[in-house]
Amino acid sequence: MTPGRSFENAILAGPLVLFLLAILGFPTVLSLVYGFSETSFQTLTTPQFSGLRNFRDVTADPTFWQAAWFSLRFGAITAILQCGLGLALAVYLAPLTQRHGWTVAILIIPMIVAPAMMGLMYRLVLHEFAGPVPHYLYSWLGWSPSFLGPANVFKTVIVAETLQWTPFAFLLFLTAYQSIPQDLREAAAVDGTRPWRLFWKIELPLMMPTVFVALFIRFIDGFRVFDNIYTLVGAGPGGSTTSMSIYIYETFLRRGEIGKAIAAAILLFITAFVILSVAQRLLWGRSA
Amino acid sequence: MKPRMTLRWIVFAIAAFVMNFPVLATLITAFKPPGEVSRNPSLWIEAPTLENFATVLTVSDRLNVYHYLWNSTVAALIGALLPMIVAFPLAWAMVRRGVGRGMLFPLVVNLRALPLIIFAIPLYMMYSAAGLLDTKVGLGLILAVVNLPLALLLLVNAVADIPAEIEEAAHMDGARLPRLLIKVVLPLCRPALITTFVFGFITAWNEFLFGLMLTTRDAVPMTVGASFFFATSGGGVQWGTAAAVMVVAALSPLVLGLVMYRRITGSMVAGAVKG
Repeated sequence: MTPGRSFENAILAGPLVLFLLAILGFPTVLSLVYGFSETSFQTLTTPQFSGLRNFRDVTADPTFWQAAWFSLRFGAITAILQCGLGLALAVYLAPLTQRHGWTVAILIIPMIVAPAMMGLMYRLVLHEFAGPVPHYLYSWLGWSPSFLGPANVFKTVIVAETLQWTPFAFLLFLTAYQSIPQDLREAAAVDGTRPWRLFWKIELPLMMPTVFVALFIRFIDGFRVFDNIYTLVGAGPGGSTTSMSIYIYETFLRRGEIGKAIAAAILLFITAFVILSVAQRLLWGRSA
Repeated sequence: MKPRMTLRWIVFAIAAFVMNFPVLATLITAFKPPGEVSRNPSLWIEAPTLENFATVLTVSDRLNVYHYLWNSTVAALIGALLPMIVAFPLAWAMVRRGVGRGMLFPLVVNLRALPLIIFAIPLYMMYSAAGLLDTKVGLGLILAVVNLPLALLLLVNAVADIPAEIEEAAHMDGARLPRLLIKVVLPLCRPALITTFVFGFITAWNEFLFGLMLTTRDAVPMTVGASFFFATSGGGVQWGTAAAVMVVAALSPLVLGLVMYRRITGSMVAGAVKG
């Protein structure tokens, strides 16, 4: 490579690299400094080195483990529900969506709406006096559960997240389903294979890579959830819907425990990094 | 129509109704007069009115929708355009010269799988030192980071789809690199650039966490402004007005998204599969 060329390459890559260094590189260094220091909003400019104390504080906090457990369960359950529903819809509705493209547009509306707005909309829909859901349940069944009460709030946020993001899984599966060569299906039809068997023996195995990718993406998104839960119920009754993101947010802005919040963020980063590396080795066969 | 197809239509209608129910109910509530909401929470409007929208679009101490909309527009424009500007030259260098293929590409693409809250706190401190806290530019910059992974991915795919012969021909004609990039490569990437912009704008507009943490008054975006409205109305939420606020807040991404839905769905799938 000529010197002129490597200079050119540096110019081409420069803007992106500098931008990342400024917006993410510097904060990462700050994170490391504050993660190992004693700090409050009053002493922001004079952090005192305190070793691993913040990490000890975080790992000794039961709320932290509660939040980690919530995020794991929330991510896993919503990913499985969304992928199951999305797969069923994509395969069953494929003949319809192929002929009438606009039906896809209708089904993906939920994911164009901001999750934060969706959370607020569910607040309206589920409100015991102003919400249509309790209204119809009362008039048809004479009874309506307290959706945001301690007994049901976990199920409620699971359903809200699932209904908003099933369209994403649906879309991935629809594309995967349509890319299965048509002659495979025709050959199966000639052999007299029933549709149900065709799905289990031929179509589903071909779609398995997409199923794993969709499960992974939806798990990651569920694991880091913030917006919709925060606007719907906040930390929830008794902190029952405190996700990792909400835990870090509350520790930082509500309680002003900066070092502890950053220590939690660093632990979250390490967790996410490990999950990501393992998943990528499995899914795409390359290292992260 | 065959009965099987009819059944499919029914399943489609149920799925569309259930998944879009909050949006539908909010839209209906927005057209109900203030007194009607608590008396009649059903999906039927007794006396449709535009009153709620009039309230929302009138500037008051409690709510200035124009201010939020403007903040969201500026921040989302920065958040959508900046990643394209910085990613485009690198995307070309990656495809044609393999620059940054090994480290930079996976690093950037993996950013989108990380929980955003990790960056929010150190960024808060950096912004408060740099005077970027509660500014549209500050918000736009971090939204640009959020959009960077998909921008790079889509542009790399777009450049890879351009036949090398076209560029070679331009090179033979004596076109130098800047001219080649701007006059030849950029126009050929137009479809990908439009997709990247639309997707980035919607993502940036819909973002909530950074708006919540990094703005307080001057640069509050629409998503956060709408949630303020719920929190501050003491003595019970005015549901009709609240619903109208949400309709206004969700309108621009929805219109943009539905007009361009083919592009968006395509880029979502590409982003997921090639990630």
